[in-house]
Amino acid sequence: MGEVMLKKLAGVALATAMFMSGTSLVSAETINSEALSDPRVRQAIAYAIDMDTIVETLLEGRALVADSMLPNGPNKPDGLNPYSYDPEKARELLAAADWDTSRELDLVYYYGDQLTADLMAAVQAYLADVGIKITYRQLQGDVGAQLTAKPDDAVNGPANITWDLGYGAAAALVGQEYFNPYKTGGVSHTPGNAERDALIAKINSSSDPEVQKEGYFAIQKYWSENLNSIPLYYQQLFVFESDRVNRNGGAYGNDQYNYNWGIENWTVTPDENGKKVMYTNTAPAQFFEAPWLNLGIWMTTKIVFDRLLEVDGALNPIGGSMAESYEVSADGLTASFTLKDGLTWHDGEALTADDVKFSIETALRIPTIHAVVRNTFTSLTGSEAYESGAADSVSGISVDGNTINLSFDTLDPNLLITFGQFAILPEHLLKNADPLQFQQDPFWQNPIGSGVYKIEEVQMNDFTRYVPFENYHGGVAKIDEIVAFPSYDGDANLIKNATAGRMDYGFTKNTGDVASLEALDFMRVIPVDIPYTRMIWINQFSRK
Amino acid sequence: MLVYVIRRIFVLIPMLVVISFLVYLGLELTPGDAVSSLINPEVASRITPEQLQALRESYGLNDPFLVRYVIWLGNIFQGNFGHSLAGGVPIATIFLDRLPATLELSFVALLFSTIIGCILGTISALRRGSPTDNFLTVFGMLGVSVPEFLFGLSVMLIFALNLGWLPAGGRLMPGYETIWDRAPHIVLPAMVLSLMMTAGVMRYSRSSMLDALTRDFIITARSKGLPEWRINLLHGFRVALTPVVVLIGFRLPLLIGGSVIIEQVFQWPGIGNEFITAVRGSDYPLVMMIALFSVFAVLMASLIIDVLTALIDPRVRLN
Repeated sequence: MGEVMLKKLAGVALATAMFMSGTSLVSAETINSEALSDPRVRQAIAYAIDMDTIVETLLEGRALVADSMLPNGPNKPDGLNPYSYDPEKARELLAAADWDTSRELDLVYYYGDQLTADLMAAVQAYLADVGIKITYRQLQGDVGAQLTAKPDDAVNGPANITWDLGYGAAAALVGQEYFNPYKTGGVSHTPGNAERDALIAKINSSSDPEVQKEGYFAIQKYWSENLNSIPLYYQQLFVFESDRVNRNGGAYGNDQYNYNWGIENWTVTPDENGKKVMYTNTAPAQFFEAPWLNLGIWMTTKIVFDRLLEVDGALNPIGGSMAESYEVSADGLTASFTLKDGLTWHDGEALTADDVKFSIETALRIPTIHAVVRNTFTSLTGSEAYESGAADSVSGISVDGNTINLSFDTLDPNLLITFGQFAILPEHLLKNADPLQFQQDPFWQNPIGSGVYKIEEVQMNDFTRYVPFENYHGGVAKIDEIVAFPSYDGDANLIKNATAGRMDYGFTKNTGDVASLEALDFMRVIPVDIPYTRMIWINQFSRK
Repeated sequence: MLVYVIRRIFVLIPMLVVISFLVYLGLELTPGDAVSSLINPEVASRITPEQLQALRESYGLNDPFLVRYVIWLGNIFQGNFGHSLAGGVPIATIFLDRLPATLELSFVALLFSTIIGCILGTISALRRGSPTDNFLTVFGMLGVSVPEFLFGLSVMLIFALNLGWLPAGGRLMPGYETIWDRAPHIVLPAMVLSLMMTAGVMRYSRSSMLDALTRDFIITARSKGLPEWRINLLHGFRVALTPVVVLIGFRLPLLIGGSVIIEQVFQWPGIGNEFITAVRGSDYPLVMMIALFSVFAVLMASLIIDVLTALIDPRVRLN
């Protein structure tokens, strides 16, 4: 009895001491010899950087200061610490954490643009002001390995990476993507932690938005204290359109992905011959990119391929696209999709449920597919055996006429989102493709899809010409021809083509592009908030 | 001469092998490889080491350096140039697609720069010290010193974007059927490229002509009462041409790789543009073939220069 009482008293004393120190319970997470594992140091870094000024000046006001990994929206709780610029507070925290001011941190990044270099210089100056010395450098060579080499021991380290701070981003299709990588063993820089794992499990435990919301609230509050990575700002996306284009009520949304933007109803001012031609960018230089990694960035991915489901501009499922109907069981462990009758590929071949099965199974054997899509497919019953080669097909997929049935071992909260983005590919043209060299298959020189437009002509590195697909299930598109040139965001050719009147639609995340596009009197630029958070990763493992 | 040419061609082979090894070694020493270039860092964090290993295996990147080089070289000797690692396109196809664009641009530039450079250089020499000579000298200095990209962007801004007289870039547009449809696209890039080359040819032919005009045979010709145009063109210019031919000969390899910057500025879909993409992507089979092709062009140009020099100048004997 006395021993129990003593333990209780000790617990109260410890809690009181933590409360009095003003550093809250998170100081208990100083888990190893590395000073960056002390949350007070991470908080100090956040307080030291004046993101409001950076957004207003460097980013020309074309971004939003981040107070969480997750972008603004219904899943963000009130009361998160915004870590507004407070250098005095940063110095106090560093002093409390006994920060070694002679230490020089190594900040790495991989973007090659001038804006990033300027941002790094600003961060260096802000941190120097509070007594944190850093040098920064752009990673070269095998960047992925340098950033992501995980430690052998995911909890105790030591680190398998050499840097201290990393500047990067997460462009998410779903909110879980911001946190799922931080599951124990998931990242190279943040030690595993049971409390965080439980919070991550919570946001993945249900497809019910209300249950997810509760989980998101909890994990963001945790994050706000712990700052395992420091969110800096939310990148915006800028859609640009010339005054020749009329969407006729079509929605605007996150153009990095696919959504129902009603392109079949878009119109464009006819040229002198009466032909309605719309110019755009992202034509390929050497090959068309397979649509399973970057799910909607390229024009070809958006318009040449089609998906089972349709989503709105915020990427929430709103109904069927190729699917006439679909059904998900209450426990989320089975789903079925029935295809519309008479679907065909651009080459006239029938599009069947077997194509869907083929696409899912092929994607499972390709390492470089989108994480959300991969998570859905690896949740399928029998996916592991198929991936390893132990089974010839995924037992959780069955085809019954025009219907494809899926059964899952574990619930995937984003099942419907996956099928709103996942392009179905033709089995009859890709059945012999090597999954490990999928992108190298000749198919990608002139791909066949089932989307609203089909490829009519490819002059690689010159232009790609798309014409309406006459058998599209949603009706024949009204623009006679879309011509895409090989230019991209942040590319001088984008502005050049736009200035020369050869760009009617596109999107960019580059703020430099935006200023130039806005200067064109025939171009309108529409900012869109997208889930794209720029952040600083922090290597919290002990060093070798 | 034929024996000499055949012997030189045989010497090319070991030279190409040595150079190819050095280029391959250089690529090997460059950090990263094709797989790391193909996978962006945000995706890399979600790929297991086993999957990465399997990808590298499928590209043949797990073999030791020398093994990979020997395999590559063996394939080349069998006429198999391989595939681009990025897109899987046969390299021969890439050459067939891209080389015509580069050759088209470079030939036009070379032709114009040679003709105009020789004429202006000769005029400059014949009017040595005159305002014309001074103007052309300044023009020549500008031509060799202004960076290509700056000149390219300037003319694009003026003639394409502001005046709208010419296309801003690219080589083809939908609906082009004849060479005349395409002709406007080549004007600006060829103009920029040829200006750079014209300045060099002009400076070279001027000094060469000045040198030739002081030779004894010119004095002899003049003392024989030959007309001045005949002395200058048939006697002086012919001798002055020899070093100019050498210069132009050495510019032949530019037909392959010399227009890299101009191709970038004007979105010209040539082999130079492809080379930049391949280097950025560590696409070593493609980099190797383009580099090898450029080296081959240099060596062949050297051979052609020797032969041409012997044909132009009777004092030169090949042995």
